[in-house]
Amino acid sequence: MTDRPPPDARVPLRLAVIHETLYRYAAPVLQSRQLLHLTPRALPHQRVVTHRIRIEPAPAEQGEGDDFFGNRIVRALIGAPHRALEIHAASVVDVGPRGDPQDLRTPPDLARLRAALAAPADAATLEAARFAFESPHVPFDPAVRTYAAPSFAGRAPLPEALADLSRRIHRDFEFDPAATTVATPLAEVIALRRGVCQDFAHLMIGCVRAQGLAARYVSGYLLTAPPPGQARLIGSDASHAWVAVYCPGADGQGAHWLEFDPTNDCRAGTGHVTLGWGRDFSDVTPTRGVLLGGGTQTLEVRVTVTPAPDQATAGYAAGT
Amino acid sequence: MPATFLASYPRSAERYDEMLEAPERPRSHWQAMFRQLAATPPERLREQVLEIERQVRENGVTYNVYADPQGSDRPWDLDLLPQILPAQEWAQLEAAVCQRAALLDRILADAYGEQRLVAEGMLPPALIHGNGAFLRPCHGFRPAGSTYLHIYAADLARSPDGRWWVLADRTQAPSGAGYALENRLAVSRAFPGLFRDLRVQPLAPFFATLRDSLAQQAPGGAGAPRMVLLTPGPYNETYYEHALLARHLGFPLVEGHDLTVRDGCVWLKTLSGLERVHAVLRRLDDDFCDPVELRADSALGVPGLAEAARRGNVLVANALGSNLLESGALLGFLPGICARLMGEPLKMPSIATWWCGQPDALEQTIERLDRLVIKPAFPQLRMEVVFGEDLTDSGRAALVAAMRAHPGNYIAQELVRLSQAPVWDRHGERRLKAGGIGLRVYACATPGGYVAMPGGLTRVAAGADVRVVSMQRGGASKDTWVLGGGSAGGSRPVRPAVGPAGLVRSSHNLSSRVAENLLWYGRYCERCDNLARLLRVGLSALIDETASRAPAPWPAMLALLGRCGIAVPPADGEREDLEAALRRAFADPRHGGLAMSMRQLFRVAFQIRERMSIDNWRALNRMTQSLARWETTAPSLAEMLAELDGATAALMTLAGFALDGMTRDQGWRFLSMGRRIERLQFLGATLACGTAQPAGADLDWLLELADSIVTYRSRYTARPQWLPLLDLLLRDESNPRSVAFQLLGVHDYLVRLAESYGPCGAEALRPLIDDMAALDPRTDLDPASPRLRRFLDRLTAESFAVAERVTQRFFSHVGEIEAHVLAP
Repeated sequence: MTDRPPPDARVPLRLAVIHETLYRYAAPVLQSRQLLHLTPRALPHQRVVTHRIRIEPAPAEQGEGDDFFGNRIVRALIGAPHRALEIHAASVVDVGPRGDPQDLRTPPDLARLRAALAAPADAATLEAARFAFESPHVPFDPAVRTYAAPSFAGRAPLPEALADLSRRIHRDFEFDPAATTVATPLAEVIALRRGVCQDFAHLMIGCVRAQGLAARYVSGYLLTAPPPGQARLIGSDASHAWVAVYCPGADGQGAHWLEFDPTNDCRAGTGHVTLGWGRDFSDVTPTRGVLLGGGTQTLEVRVTVTPAPDQATAGYAAGT
Repeated sequence: MPATFLASYPRSAERYDEMLEAPERPRSHWQAMFRQLAATPPERLREQVLEIERQVRENGVTYNVYADPQGSDRPWDLDLLPQILPAQEWAQLEAAVCQRAALLDRILADAYGEQRLVAEGMLPPALIHGNGAFLRPCHGFRPAGSTYLHIYAADLARSPDGRWWVLADRTQAPSGAGYALENRLAVSRAFPGLFRDLRVQPLAPFFATLRDSLAQQAPGGAGAPRMVLLTPGPYNETYYEHALLARHLGFPLVEGHDLTVRDGCVWLKTLSGLERVHAVLRRLDDDFCDPVELRADSALGVPGLAEAARRGNVLVANALGSNLLESGALLGFLPGICARLMGEPLKMPSIATWWCGQPDALEQTIERLDRLVIKPAFPQLRMEVVFGEDLTDSGRAALVAAMRAHPGNYIAQELVRLSQAPVWDRHGERRLKAGGIGLRVYACATPGGYVAMPGGLTRVAAGADVRVVSMQRGGASKDTWVLGGGSAGGSRPVRPAVGPAGLVRSSHNLSSRVAENLLWYGRYCERCDNLARLLRVGLSALIDETASRAPAPWPAMLALLGRCGIAVPPADGEREDLEAALRRAFADPRHGGLAMSMRQLFRVAFQIRERMSIDNWRALNRMTQSLARWETTAPSLAEMLAELDGATAALMTLAGFALDGMTRDQGWRFLSMGRRIERLQFLGATLACGTAQPAGADLDWLLELADSIVTYRSRYTARPQWLPLLDLLLRDESNPRSVAFQLLGVHDYLVRLAESYGPCGAEALRPLIDDMAALDPRTDLDPASPRLRRFLDRLTAESFAVAERVTQRFFSHVGEIEAHVLAP
């Protein structure tokens, strides 16, 4: 773990991501319907070079589409009885630096930003307003509001307040995969002071929304192989999640979404591969399925992010 | 004027009176009813009230107050007196409700499409994006037929100055139209002459219009579209209504498990395979409709339904996501939106409502809290309605703190003083009480615009609290009469007449679940019949003290009771043991026996209600209610016997309905096969226990159990003997109570079912049928015959095995639980 983002998080990277999901069932599954958010999103700073999803057994029906937030989704129906289901997603993406946060020299006035989100007058604010309210995993909770307050108490510019919030979450909460599940409510995470990247992302989103601002949940991956001599970042061998906060310039120009990774207390860099975003985990759950039959089941998820072999990546070693 | 009516009828200057315009002076549209009441003798009025109660009870009109599998159905509370609306006044309500439906439909189209209303500042983003009922997977496509709101209801109330106001909009799956229909049937019967003279506008055409409009808008091109009514199931509070509407509309009543999605289309699972469904009229909440894309933990929905709707392959009414507009926060913005979208003012105002998410509204609400009602802003928020005037100081402080912390979740509304209408006092003598009323009015989309149902569901506030009308809180209801006027009820699409090519001879859409319920309906009917007869012979034996039967029949009877799942003492039974066991089996639904089987029969019948005639249902309802009386009162032996006589006769009636009133389709075969299988099991047990009696034992009771005593006596004048008895009960194929009749019948049904569904295992019954044919009357029709004993053992085993095989063959996947899984 590190308190600092990698010094070269702004170096463009070509990354290979393999995301494998394997279910094993005690009894045959007669029918399985899957909704997948496993396709990396094309973005100004991210180019999808190759992407392939393989499902075993082969689906009887498979289709693609875009969800409400513009994320690519895959729908599949596996109609033949099966005792195991494997979903293998392989992508190669080029990730460049995000719009330079240093450009944001004139941070927004918070009162005006709140008012703009309540009555959006331009496309960017309209888009942001989708992320300003409660959502299934981030319900309104006075404890969240209270937790957020100190970071916004002063008159610090928004990017600094957010950096402070990210720092506090990183400091106050312990990374503990055993403490929570995808179903653990935010209130319990606050009480436990433990959790995983999802929980910390949800907490930070809740803090930001409690201020009347807009924050979205970013689902993706993190390059896990650290530069020599540096500690390994959390997020290895699992999908990752972080937060984007709407932070336009004071002149209302520039639809900036500042991305914070509270799990590692850093800004999202070129090691952060974006799958997609939504209000919270429920909008972008990587695999979501409804089964007929199956009985008890086991789930194994493996994620490997490595610098792609054809990319000169001085300073980065291949992952384990 | 008949002042006695009004002796206890209150007058209030603070409320509008629906009946009187001045003390003792009825409004003109009430005068005919008033004269009628005055002219009717008191006894006759009492009879009419009782008649309405009886109809409600016997038609089984219920409202489940909460989900209780033991059946907490509450009888529907219906007042004798209708709410009466003159034609002219109705025309205004109709125009306003239809305008509002059209407006809300356009708002839904905008919210699930371009969202211009938010972009233009007509609607705060919170009302869409902060509204838990906004379903993102339903955004970005036009539904089949391009209509979102197929059926709409507005809750109306009248203020003291006589004006009508909209209290709330029902945009998801409005309930109550079916109850309105039921109210009409009962109340119009109470006042047939008046009903005719006043030319009360009929309700039935509205439902025909709804059905025809759905059919016209459903996708699917050639042929009649298949339409279904999707219900959450029997434990839903308005399930009764779902069954009623399904029957009235002629739609199969289906649950989520009955449907499946393949190739982006919705299919009904029937015994003969998947049948395409073109329209789903749903009574299932939005977010429960599809666990893949909507609420993942819904076990009631249809996985893939949202995708099928997105592809335009199925019409879902109302469109998924329409719950969005059941938000009170919207009300304050409607006048502006109406002007913007429709270019005209809103014809009927909403009750003054403020969304506290607006800072000014919050402060004003807090200031005027005493005079306001505080409600949740969004439908999925579960919070109690708070009347500001009821708040204590501390309650007020807590509410204000909660509102300040999250103002967007609250709305404030003006308190309405509901108008009052006369309510017949069932306990007093020819007296009228007054009750606060609210009116729910329905409209449906047609290709030519919205059409309102001329009438509605009038609800009466319960007890003294005149501020809320709610069936959940125990309110009553009224029929709503719209008096004859010029309007014929709007344009009505005409369905093409059925031509010779369109004739239908069988209903193919027998869903697997319905088939299973029919089978079990048959089995429970027969089981109840068997148990009623068994209890009756047991009781008769108890009462018949004079009988000098050498070996007492108790042990064999106790053994048979035990085989029927009734707890009996393990040792050789005595008279007292038999009586105790019979009493338990008669009245205690917690133990195996008649009371329990009757409940099971009722429950399974409830699930296939839409397939039963109203007369059939009444007979069943009357029987189960009659027996249920004894759960709380201990009957005498004579009372038990009388009850059992009644039950046996009622069960014969039900059998008659099945025999004489049902089409001989595959559904009927499942029902009949259920009866035969159950009777086979009971006959096997009866003969096994009977033949185990010591020699010289009484045999009359065996013949009584098998309802064959008349046949026996007509053939043999002597006392029952084993040889003729076994011939009659085992081998006589003409005796509908014989083993042979059941075996051949089940075999025949399986052969017939195989014609539609492929091999059903009929041949597995052959060896037993052959065994029976091989029984030699000279040696084997005797309890001492080893061959007979072997046959009876095999009969018992096979009677259970065939039931198991049918279940495996047809229903092994019915009710399979769906699981949802999320992975990071």
